[in-house]
Amino acid sequence: MPDELDGVLDRATLDALMDSLGGDAEFLAELIDTYAADAPGQLEMLHMALAAGDIAGLVRPAHTLKSSSASLAALELAERCRQLETSAKAGSLEGANEAIEAIAAELDRVVSALEHTKESYPA
Amino acid sequence: MTGGRILVVEDAIVNRKLIERLLRQEGHAVTAVGDGLAALEALGGDGEPPFDVVLLDLVMPGLDGYATLARMKADSRVAHLPVIVISAVEELDSVVRCIELGALDYLPKPVEPTILQARLNAALSAKRLRDLEVEVAAQQAELLRTIARQKEELSRFLSPQIAALVSSPEGERLLAGHRREATTVFCDLRGFTSFSEAADPEEVLGVLRGYHAMMGSLIVEHGGTLEHFAGDGMMVFFNDPVLQEDHVLRSVHMAVAMRERFAELASGWAKRGHKLGFGVGIATGHATLGRIGFEGRYDYGMVGMAVIVASRLSSAAEAGQILLAPRSHDAVADQVVAEPIGEIQLKGMSNPIAAVNVLGLRGAGKAGVSPKPAMPEAQS
Repeated sequence: MPDELDGVLDRATLDALMDSLGGDAEFLAELIDTYAADAPGQLEMLHMALAAGDIAGLVRPAHTLKSSSASLAALELAERCRQLETSAKAGSLEGANEAIEAIAAELDRVVSALEHTKESYPA
Repeated sequence: MTGGRILVVEDAIVNRKLIERLLRQEGHAVTAVGDGLAALEALGGDGEPPFDVVLLDLVMPGLDGYATLARMKADSRVAHLPVIVISAVEELDSVVRCIELGALDYLPKPVEPTILQARLNAALSAKRLRDLEVEVAAQQAELLRTIARQKEELSRFLSPQIAALVSSPEGERLLAGHRREATTVFCDLRGFTSFSEAADPEEVLGVLRGYHAMMGSLIVEHGGTLEHFAGDGMMVFFNDPVLQEDHVLRSVHMAVAMRERFAELASGWAKRGHKLGFGVGIATGHATLGRIGFEGRYDYGMVGMAVIVASRLSSAAEAGQILLAPRSHDAVADQVVAEPIGEIQLKGMSNPIAAVNVLGLRGAGKAGVSPKPAMPEAQS
């Protein structure tokens, strides 16, 4: 099974999710589509907050993206979001720019891996 | 466990959809909203909120989870709803804050279906238990209202002491029957039979009502228990069911007061040409008291020699006389002014008894002092 998942999506988490949905691939696909449509908006909010120097404004999008990503097995992305959320809560903008760039790049990989995942489960 | 009605409050749309789906497939009815204001709106309206449990995310735009929780707990209509907060493991301090704010439990993120079910079922049980308690409390309140109404109604038919006895903890035992020293008072009217034959029924009933109303208030005032009244006759006893150390004296006080008040009534009747007199018999002794009668109609009654003696003395009394049996007289001899009437032979009794006629009370008794009450002339 696809190497695309390696280091991007956690296989065990994904299997557990699929299991809890009773193998409903259609619903998983719907969930992935929802994520793919919603996550770029959260990223955009991070960019805007950073541009405005609004540290507090980083917290909520980082938190939301963390939660959604964790639910869809994107543990690496969730961890990056968690670190950003934590430092923003602590009032630090240090390294925020690099962190958001890394999140953007990781989000691309996650969305792509999730698209592949949709195809790997029989509908 | 059957499904509950769950309100999910979660701003992250992926998680909202996922939780909604996990709950629906377990048979719950789900309403999912994206922020605190929408949640409060869903909980709004009159009457019971249409949910059993609220699953509440903390970090949300607009009204966040803490503010939503605080507002819920401040609203008595929804304060009882169990709230489970959804929180990432690294936010345990938030969880503590929420539980202090009144949340029941928390659910770690990412949501794990088994834990979700377990916590939700516990919250549903709590809610159902609470609903049941509310229902039982309402039933209990209704029951208490019914009992209070019955007691009130009962007290119209029975002497107040007996109505109280029926609903008291020791009521069953006392009703079943017990022996006790008691004083019995019989009183009735002289000349009533000929009056009732000659007068209009309305006149007769009018006289009886005036007489009963006056005597009734004096019985209550002196703490007597009315056993029965039949026409112009009444039987009242003292020292049961409520214990009265001074039961003999009370009975004499009551009889003297009755005689005085009767004189007022009688003078009114005399003006209309009705000659009525009032006679009393009082006796003290051990008696059996309790429920007497048959299924469908019971009275609280008294049986014993004192009852018979009091009844016979009442019959023997002339208008204006209060006849005391010797044992009753002994108990209050230094408190009443009485004259011996000699030995009288009572119907159905082998030995004559030395009764006295009470002229009045010594000192200022509560029924007043009237050594020789003025009584209208009347036929016995």
